[in-house]
Amino acid sequence: MSSITEKMPTRFQLALKDIFDGLKNWPIWILLSWQDIRLRYRRSQLGPFWITISMAITIYTMGFLYGHLFRTPIQNYFPFLAAGMLAWNLISLLIIEETNAFIEADNFLKQIKLPYSVFVLRIISRCFIIFLHNIVVIIPLFFIFHIQVTWAILFIVPSLLLIFINAFCYGLILAAIGARYRDVAQLITSVIQVIFFITPIMWNPAILPEKYHIWIMLNPFAQYVEILRAPLMSTLPTMYSINAVLFMTLVGMILSSLLMLRVRHRIIYWL
Amino acid sequence: MANIILKNVSIEFPIYHANARSLKKQFLRLSTGGKLLQTAKSLSVKALSEINLHIEHGDRIGLVGHNGAGKSTLLRVLSRIYEPTEGYLNIEGSVSPLLDLMFGIEPESTGYENIFTRGLLLGHTRKKIYEKIDEIADFTGLGDYLSVPIRTYSAGMRLRLAFGVATSIAPEILVLDEVVGTGDLAFMEKAKARMNQLIEQSSIVVIATHSEKMMKEVCNKVVVLKAGKIEFYGDVKEGIEKYHESTANQ
Repeated sequence: MSSITEKMPTRFQLALKDIFDGLKNWPIWILLSWQDIRLRYRRSQLGPFWITISMAITIYTMGFLYGHLFRTPIQNYFPFLAAGMLAWNLISLLIIEETNAFIEADNFLKQIKLPYSVFVLRIISRCFIIFLHNIVVIIPLFFIFHIQVTWAILFIVPSLLLIFINAFCYGLILAAIGARYRDVAQLITSVIQVIFFITPIMWNPAILPEKYHIWIMLNPFAQYVEILRAPLMSTLPTMYSINAVLFMTLVGMILSSLLMLRVRHRIIYWL
Repeated sequence: MANIILKNVSIEFPIYHANARSLKKQFLRLSTGGKLLQTAKSLSVKALSEINLHIEHGDRIGLVGHNGAGKSTLLRVLSRIYEPTEGYLNIEGSVSPLLDLMFGIEPESTGYENIFTRGLLLGHTRKKIYEKIDEIADFTGLGDYLSVPIRTYSAGMRLRLAFGVATSIAPEILVLDEVVGTGDLAFMEKAKARMNQLIEQSSIVVIATHSEKMMKEVCNKVVVLKAGKIEFYGDVKEGIEKYHESTANQ
């Protein structure tokens, strides 16, 4: 006991510990995210089903309107739009809310020592709960448009897993930057609107001239949307999208560990 | 064996110009203590400077100082919330801070749900919380009220609940900020007994308090903080004298 050497854990160890302790503390983030959802719909009769209802209203009106505007066969366009909107909704919600993850949690972070990653995971879990409510919207379309259900639909599991890992890595980065630079959240909210229009969600890539397809290939959001949208339409995502997402996952892991290594111990001073 | 060592620990808060509101807040804090440092491009407040402290198993430390002397910051360092910007810190043992009694209390949730949430946040397992839940319910004396949302509670009832949960399981190292001041009298007696029990069960206790009585009854050592520095660390009686002296000098 008397021979206390100055063995402080390194920053690297602390950053790793933060990430693993965060995952290990799943009861906390699951509980907090459920509480968030419950509180949002407290005292409403339909509760969280409002998520489903509002999504249904958006998708069904957009489907009919744009189906006619683009003069495309509605049985192709409608499911494409619906699945794309569900995917986009999850991705954009994750990005916007994760930017506020630490700011939102400042009263927790200042009162008790919890891993920072817990609060990113809380947001992810919250967005996934919302996504699972939304997904119901697509079921009637399978009957209306006689979409064949194939095994490809099960690809949703690895897709969601990939989205989860990406959301975790990039979420740590977004949350840290969002806490340090308060303008970032505003910036992201407006940029996300633009991304929605330049990503093939409302419009089918087929209507774009061949020479512009490179821009879809270079758009990371198009790949994230694709890996979620395809299984929701009971098809398999393109190999290119899967590879692109795997590559971005790797990049995200490296970037987030580097950032956590550098700034984790500073985050509390930014709140 | 719980053990805490601080060597030349300093805490510096950055102030960002972009955020005028927080800047103002920091300046308000400055008027009551702390030290302003300005380098070429950034402004910062030194909340604690060169703190050397060795707290051993069994120690009960009373922390005194004026507003802004760095008491809360030091408590947060001991709770592992602020990581020192300089110096060496080693804490052995599980720490449970009790800085804000109402922390994690959600008005829309029921009493039982709040007990559960708070328990998890304090790092207890589900199993341990289930074991303790009857005892907590019993202590709060809230009975059937525990099944309704706590927004329907009076301030006193909320306090009982918060206090009951916060003090249910003793950590190895207990970090306390200014002990409770409201609630009805019968409850105060009960709360005092419970607090004493909690203090007895913890291996190390650090309390920020203004109450001399509390210090004399509970503590074996006193830390006097002044403008982010330790002015005195040692015997209780001497510490209280030192504290009065520095008050008189102001």
